[in-house]
Amino acid sequence: MPAAPTILERPQRWDAAFGPEMTNAEVERLLAMAPFRDMEADQFPKRTPLREILRHDARLLRFRKGEIIVRQGDYGTSAFLILNGAARVVLKPDLPPTLLGRRKPGKKGLWPTLAQLWNGVRPPESFSPEQLRQSAELGARLDEKDVRVFLQDLPCVLDRHRTVQMTAGDFFGEIAALSRMPRTSTIFADSDEAELLEIRWQGLRDLMKNDDALRAHINKIYRERALASYLRATPIFQRLDEAQLERVAEAVEFATFGDYDWSGDYKRLAQSGAVRPEKEPAVVAEGDYPNGMVLLRAGFARVSQKTRGGERTLNYLGAGQIFGLNEIAHNWRNPNVPVNFQYSLRAIGYTHLLVVPTRVMEEIVLPSLPRGELPPPVEATEPFDLAPSETAVRENVGAEVLEFITENRFFNGTAAMVIDLDRCTRCDDCVRACASTHDNNPRFLRHGPAVGRLMIANACMHCADPVCMIGCPTGAIHRESFAGQVVINPATCIGCKSCANNCPYDAIRMVEVRDERGELMVDPEAKPITKATKCDLCVENYGGPACQRACPHGALTRMNMNNLDALTRWLKK
Amino acid sequence: MKRFRRQFFPGLFALLIAAAATLVLHAHFRRTLPNEALLTGWILLAATLALAFYNARKRLPFLPLGNSETWLQVHIYLGFFTVLLFLIHLNFRLPHGWFEITLAWLFALVSGSGGVGLILSRVLPRRLATRGGEVIYEKIPALSHALKSEAENVAVGAEAKSPAIAEFYARRLARFFSTPQNTWLHLVESRHPLNALISGLDDLRRTGSDAERAMLEKLAALVRQKDGLDYHRSLQLTLKLWLFVHIPLTYGLLIFTALHIILVFGFSGGAR
Repeated sequence: MPAAPTILERPQRWDAAFGPEMTNAEVERLLAMAPFRDMEADQFPKRTPLREILRHDARLLRFRKGEIIVRQGDYGTSAFLILNGAARVVLKPDLPPTLLGRRKPGKKGLWPTLAQLWNGVRPPESFSPEQLRQSAELGARLDEKDVRVFLQDLPCVLDRHRTVQMTAGDFFGEIAALSRMPRTSTIFADSDEAELLEIRWQGLRDLMKNDDALRAHINKIYRERALASYLRATPIFQRLDEAQLERVAEAVEFATFGDYDWSGDYKRLAQSGAVRPEKEPAVVAEGDYPNGMVLLRAGFARVSQKTRGGERTLNYLGAGQIFGLNEIAHNWRNPNVPVNFQYSLRAIGYTHLLVVPTRVMEEIVLPSLPRGELPPPVEATEPFDLAPSETAVRENVGAEVLEFITENRFFNGTAAMVIDLDRCTRCDDCVRACASTHDNNPRFLRHGPAVGRLMIANACMHCADPVCMIGCPTGAIHRESFAGQVVINPATCIGCKSCANNCPYDAIRMVEVRDERGELMVDPEAKPITKATKCDLCVENYGGPACQRACPHGALTRMNMNNLDALTRWLKK
Repeated sequence: MKRFRRQFFPGLFALLIAAAATLVLHAHFRRTLPNEALLTGWILLAATLALAFYNARKRLPFLPLGNSETWLQVHIYLGFFTVLLFLIHLNFRLPHGWFEITLAWLFALVSGSGGVGLILSRVLPRRLATRGGEVIYEKIPALSHALKSEAENVAVGAEAKSPAIAEFYARRLARFFSTPQNTWLHLVESRHPLNALISGLDDLRRTGSDAERAMLEKLAALVRQKDGLDYHRSLQLTLKLWLFVHIPLTYGLLIFTALHIILVFGFSGGAR
C-alpha cells in the first residue's frame, strides 16, 4: 500500500514579513506620508495591495548619528527611504576598508610569509588578540536586536571625506536592490533618531509595477546613473556614438525574473531533487517572435531546447552575455525568411536583464556592426554565438557535464575548485598546502559533487553572485576589490552565521576560535566565540592559490565556471 | 593517448637530445679531462640535490617557488637524466666494494621506486575515477564500519529471522565486512571475490522466501558498496605507500652520498 502523502500548507509570499513588528498604526502613518500618500491604492491588485506591501515588505529602522546604513561594495536586497532626520552619502573616494570593517587589502610582508614555516605548529583556529582587535576608528553596538556599526570619530571623517547630505523623502539603494549589483556608496546616519523605511526587493518591485510615478523616478535614475555607462562598456554597442547610445538607452527595457532569495530556495529544492528547467521562469520561450535582444546584467539564465521528454540545457549565460542576436540579425538580413527564437531562455535563481527592442537593433545597432561581426544565418542550425563557448561546450565538455554544472549552480563560481579525477592521485598535497598557508587550518574539503572525471570540491567559489555577503551586519565578509575575491575579516566577524546560512554551496564553516595556547576564547558570558572561515584564495600570499600551485599532476585548478572554453581546454590538457 | 603524446613526447625528445649530447661530450673530452670522475661526481651530486629539493618545495607552499606540476615534470626528466649521469660516473662498469655496491643499490632503488610511482600515478587515478564512488581515504574506516552495522542489522539483527542468511553471514560475510579485503586482487582488477560472494547470495535467493529475497538484495547492495570501499582503499593506499619507499630511500641515498664524498676526499685526496 503506498504511503500517505505528507500534507503541508502551501507557502505564501507573506508568510515571513520583512519587519514582523510593523503595526497598523505605523502602516497608517506611512500611508499618510509622501510618496505613499500620492500613490493610488486602487491601482494595486487585490493580491498585493499597497497597505499589505508596506506591512510585509517594509520595516522601520532607527539609526543614531554616525551609524553606517549601507557600505560601498556590499550586496543589498533592499532600498531605503528617509522618513525623518538625515543621512550622509560619502562621495568618491570612499572610506578606507578599515573604516568599513574590512581587512586592509594587500599581501603579507616578508617576515609573516617566512613565519608560516613555524606557524604550522599552532593550535587550530588560534588567533592572537591583535588579530581580532577591531579598528579603533570603528565601534559596534547592539541596537534592539540588530548590530550597528558606527564611526567613532565622525568629525574627522567629515573633515577628510567629501559627503552630501540626504534628508527626509530621499530614496537610496534602489539600483543596487533591483539590479543585484554592489552598493556604489557608503551612507551613514547624520542625525540622532534618523528614521528610515527599508523596503525589500519584492516590495520595491511591486510598488514600481503599480505606481507610475515611482516607476518613472526609478527608471530615470537607473538610466542616468547605471545604464549609460553599462551600455558603453558592452562590446556590441561600442561602435555607437553618444547620440546613438542615448537613443538605445532610452529605448531599453529592463526586467527582473526569479527570486532574490534563490539561494535558500535552491538549497531546499536541491535537497528534494526538484531542480528542473521546466520550473524556472521563462524569459523567452522557444518559438516566440524575437522582439528584442536580451542582455544579462546580473544573475544567470539557462538556454534550453525542447525535447520529447522536456527540455535539455544547451548552455547557461552570465552577466554581460547576450541572447537573441542571431535571430534578430537573421531577420534583418533576410526579411523574407524570418525565424523565431530558436531556444528558450529561463532565469536561474535571480536574473536582471535588459531588452533592446528589435526596432532599435535594426535601426541603430546592427547597421553599426561590420559584416564580419554579424552572426551567420540561422538556417545553419548549429548553435553559433548564444555564448561564444557553446559549440566548444557541446563538442567537448559534453551534455552531462553541462547539466551537472547548471543543476548545481556551479556557473556562479569565479574561482571554483575543479578537480580532474583522472589525474588526481588523492595525495592531499593541496590540503596540506592550504593548511600550511593558513596557520595549520585547511580551508576546504577535497570532496564534493562529481560527474565523470570532474569534481567540484567543497571550497568557496568566490561567486559572481555572492549571496553570502547579503545581510552581514558588520561588513566582515566582503570583496577584496570590485568583483574580486570574497574574504572575511575575523576581527569584525561576530559569528552570526548569516553568511554560512546564505551560502548555497555550504562553503563557509563556523569555527570556535582559540588563543595561542589552544584554549577556547569565550565572551563575558562564557559562551565560545565563533567566526566564519572559508577559502580566501590565498589573497594575502604571493603566487596565487596554494592548492592549485601544490598539485603535482595539474589535477586541480581554480576556474571561472562561466568560461567553459577554459574548462574544455583544461580537461584536454 | 593525445594527452600522453602532448605531455610526454616533447619532454622525451628533449631528454634524448640532452642524453646524446652528454654522451658525445663525454666521449670527446674524457681523455683530456684532468679529473673526469670528480667532475661527473659533482654534476651527479648537483642533479641529485636538485631532485631532492622537490620535497622541500612541497613543504614550502606559501613561498612563490613555482607550480608543483612544473617541478614534477623537471623532477621526472631530470631523474631519467641522472640515471645516465650515474652510469657515466661509474664509467659504465659495475661498482665494487660493499660501500659502492650499497650506494649503487640505493640509487637504483630510488630511481626504480620513482619510475614505479610515475606509472602508478598515471594509471591508478583513472581506474579510481572509472570505478566511481569517490571517497576520502581517511573516511573509509568509518564508512566501512557503518556498512558493517547495517549488514549485521539486515542479516542477524532483531528483525532478521532467517537461519540460512545468518549462517551465510557468519561464514562468508562477517569477516568481509569487518576488515579491508582483497587489497592485492583489487590492484590487479580482479572481480573474482565479489562475484563469488554475489553468487553465494544468489544461490540463497533461489530457495528463499520473499522476505529473505528482500534481505538478500539489501545484503548484495551492501557487499557491492563494501567492495567499492575496499577497491578505493587498495588503490589509494598504493598511491600513498610508494612515496613511503621513495622518500626514505632518498634520505638514505643522500647520507651515503655524503659519506662517499668524505671517503673520496679523506682517503684518496679526490677521485682519480
